[in-house]
Amino acid sequence: MTEQDTTLISLDKAKQLVEFLENDDVKSANNIITEIQNASSDALFDKVGALTRQLHNSLEDFKFDSRIESLATEEFPDARERLNYVIEMTDKAANRTMDAVEACLPIADSFNDRIQQVMPGWQSLMSRELGLGQFKDLCKLLDDFLQVSVKDADSLRQYLTEILMAQDFQDLTGQMIRRVINLVQEVEVKLVEMLTMFSETELASSAGAEPVIQEIVSGIESEGPIMNATERTDVVDGQDDVDDLLSSLGF
Amino acid sequence: MKTNIKILIVDDFSTMRRIIKNLLRDLGFNNTFEADDGNTALPMLKNGDYDFVVTDWNMPGMEGIDLLKEIRKDQALCHIPVLMVTAEAKREQIIEAAQSGVNGYIIKPFTAATLKEKLEKIFERIQ
Repeated sequence: MTEQDTTLISLDKAKQLVEFLENDDVKSANNIITEIQNASSDALFDKVGALTRQLHNSLEDFKFDSRIESLATEEFPDARERLNYVIEMTDKAANRTMDAVEACLPIADSFNDRIQQVMPGWQSLMSRELGLGQFKDLCKLLDDFLQVSVKDADSLRQYLTEILMAQDFQDLTGQMIRRVINLVQEVEVKLVEMLTMFSETELASSAGAEPVIQEIVSGIESEGPIMNATERTDVVDGQDDVDDLLSSLGF
Repeated sequence: MKTNIKILIVDDFSTMRRIIKNLLRDLGFNNTFEADDGNTALPMLKNGDYDFVVTDWNMPGMEGIDLLKEIRKDQALCHIPVLMVTAEAKREQIIEAAQSGVNGYIIKPFTAATLKEKLEKIFERIQ
């Protein structure tokens, strides 16, 4: 039942009030009205009191929730650093790729130039219109062409592998971004909690989705790419470090 | 190196699987298959007659380290060499992988030459 459905004054009291008024007993009538007012303001004070206590408790809770402190002082700066690292890595990958492409283009051009040089002699040969001297020239040109092509093909292959390897940024930055997404999700949940706390009735029914926090099955939590490997002692810095560590373990 | 061996590449990022697949093809290994985490990889290994596994560590579902442990626990699979290719760089992780029976550990980002070198080393030891 809502407040509108219950009367603030009982029928008996109302009849009494009318009776007092009809008898010009102003004092008694006013007493009844004051009584009614007090009853409803008591309820109001109770409610304000409860809300104040709740607000106070919530604020105390937030003060003591160390998670919030670590979010603000560690994880947000860390997330910022991660996103900067993503920019850096994508920048590097794009430049690595473009460098390789720029190195490939002159090879393709020179390939084409050499074909153009050989072509007239070759066509004469195919239509049996080539003299012995011209044939010797053609052989020399073709020999050069073949020698250079072997080297160029090798360079092309190397540049293509370089382009392939540059794409590893997608994996490494993806791992970084996933961590930031998890952080954002956690903050989202905390914000929803805060909103629910201060407007229980409105939000209680729509308490959003729980965050998907990955359960760690193995003993060690995976951390993803390390941004500042040189400044940390608990991580290796590059493949040589890994190899040293493994060989120290008898590998 | 026998190049006709059957290799399973396990990584949650398809880009990385493609990179490794291409590098292996460059080295002459054409018989490669892919899985996106340990949970997908394990049944494939159990039914698939695989000769070699290349796996990432950090994956949703079953992580690479747990896949490695499952492989070493299983009598039918425990002989399969496992090469870890991962961005996980903590010393305790590398030690954990070594103790769990990993055959090689490559840290991302890596080069084509490193992959070749580690593969050759593993095959040398096996033969």
